[in-house]
Amino acid sequence: MISTRLRGFSLLALLASLLGLAFAVYSSLDYADHLDRRVHDLHCSLIPGATPTPDSEVCRAAMYSPYSALFKDALWGGVPISLFAIGAFAFFASFAAYLLVRGSGVPAYVRQLFFALSLTPGLVSLLMLTLSITKLGGLCTTCLGIYLSSALLLVSGIGIAMVAGGRHAPPSTFGLLVRALGTMALLGAASVAPGLAYAAAAPDHTPYLKSCGALKSPPDKQDELVLLRGSDPRREALFVEDPLCPTCRAFHARLVGEQLIDRLDAQLVLFPLDSECNWMLSEPLHPGACRLSRALLCAPDGRAALDWAFEEQDALAAAGRKSPKALDELVGARFGQSVLDCAGSKKTKARLNAHLHFAAENNIPVSTPQLFLGTSRVCDEDTDIGLRFTLTRLAPELFR
Amino acid sequence: MSDEPAREEDRNTEFGPPSFAEPVRNADSDTDNDWWAPSALLFVLVLLLGGSTFLVLGRVHDASERLVTLEANRPQVVLADQAEAAYCTPEFKQVLERVLHACGLDGGTSRRGCQPADVKSLASINDSDFNALFTPLKDRGAVLLFDNAQDELDDGAKKLLDERFEDRLGARYFFVVARASKSGNMQKNRALSHRRANSVKFHLAETTADPELDRKVGQLWLGNEFAQLDTDYCQWPNSRMGEKCTTEAINRSVFVSWVDCRL
Repeated sequence: MISTRLRGFSLLALLASLLGLAFAVYSSLDYADHLDRRVHDLHCSLIPGATPTPDSEVCRAAMYSPYSALFKDALWGGVPISLFAIGAFAFFASFAAYLLVRGSGVPAYVRQLFFALSLTPGLVSLLMLTLSITKLGGLCTTCLGIYLSSALLLVSGIGIAMVAGGRHAPPSTFGLLVRALGTMALLGAASVAPGLAYAAAAPDHTPYLKSCGALKSPPDKQDELVLLRGSDPRREALFVEDPLCPTCRAFHARLVGEQLIDRLDAQLVLFPLDSECNWMLSEPLHPGACRLSRALLCAPDGRAALDWAFEEQDALAAAGRKSPKALDELVGARFGQSVLDCAGSKKTKARLNAHLHFAAENNIPVSTPQLFLGTSRVCDEDTDIGLRFTLTRLAPELFR
Repeated sequence: MSDEPAREEDRNTEFGPPSFAEPVRNADSDTDNDWWAPSALLFVLVLLLGGSTFLVLGRVHDASERLVTLEANRPQVVLADQAEAAYCTPEFKQVLERVLHACGLDGGTSRRGCQPADVKSLASINDSDFNALFTPLKDRGAVLLFDNAQDELDDGAKKLLDERFEDRLGARYFFVVARASKSGNMQKNRALSHRRANSVKFHLAETTADPELDRKVGQLWLGNEFAQLDTDYCQWPNSRMGEKCTTEAINRSVFVSWVDCRL
């Protein structure tokens, strides 16, 4: 009876660990794929091994966030934390297999040690879950798989600790200490090993950082760009953004999350991907973006207006698709009639047109977002998982 | 006696009563009998850890190889540029380019504008072909009409000019093609045509305050010897739509239009 219960919980621990291992491996594979500086589909499902999908915004946001990896300063993209999960879950799977095989022959202190160690993935998962909800505003399903596996592992750990096994005298205090420390060291070594191997094998991206061109002519007063000077400006920068572009919103959130936006003396080129005003598009990619951009040009505080546009982007995009009137209602509710009147004026239309002509004169790519440090263009692929590594090298003053 | 704590612990943690049939073992001597269990643990750990890490490293290796290949052959991206309309034929661009270079808009000379003789030689085409080049600009542009022997823009002309100039979109150059009718002598008409072109330029300078206006506005002033308009052009948008339009009237004019061509 006792042995059956213990084996049952051990089996549960084994399954939870293998499940967590599978999620961690898929997450790490996704991360590794992106080392080629291209965008790839992601495994974003609660079914381990489900086909990667391009429709995985939340998982992508989690991957691009500062919390997805460690040592992002030293390594392009950093060392993904899912690699630590691989080591930990492999350890717990092995430990659970050991408990399963030995059954009631396992001493109580070993079972209690298993329980104590199973707290670690549980606590880490709780921390990451909190960050996901509070900082990212969503739950990546692959991450959720890892959190659920950790929870299941913890439940099985509790069960294993509570079920009594055979009659074993505990070892001496010294023996107990050696065993506990040895097991913890094994968990630590297992957790760190994949990350070390990854860091050693990952390619050096330094040669590619400056390969994406530069502005032909820096902005001047005539271009009437939007000033986004941070509170502690250390480096001149230029953003090219569309207020209805989800990637721009995510990029903006990364800059805020990395606490970089306040260290930039930035100017903003509004580049709405909307054929209403942008002749470079044959059809609107983000309907209403021209109208909203004109409103942002008229808002009293450009930074606050841009923050608002990104925060309310889903509602604004829906209104833009519906009708100009629906969009005006949202803008009017936020900024008042004076901004609406200004946005409809010829002067503002000409100013937005000047932004687009700035882009045309400089022959920058028709895409958003774009970041320029001084006149040097930061490659698109360096503005997501490699952002911190890139800025550490191209603008070290931002981190001093 | 040494068995008692373990037995007591089992009593406290078991769901059921302890089995006294099961012998109590000393933990320090377990390894003598169960050495294989920790070894198996390590073996499974190495297997799982090694296998998973190997998978990930394989992907890292693949990505590294792609990185070298893809960076060497970066895909072409669409670059922002001025508009390029369908009417920008090679012939049109040839005229446009010659005019821009010769008339100072390329920035290499302080000279602004082209005289009638220049246009005739630059364009290397006859009158009707020259005018036909501008046919696609019928709705993009407008004809500003003047009184006989006058060079001042009236209110209607100013309004139409402002509207057309504001409707820039992606165009790089704004063309101002001034004319004078056949009445009067050649020298006088050339001067009049020049003044009409300048009226447009001065009005734009005054209303836009654009310091780069010289880089945008290209002026041609034609006398009565080249590219006169016929009455078909009376149908084009003009500043006196309600009034009678004759051959003389349509040539007392300035044609203005943004040109959506890249060079």
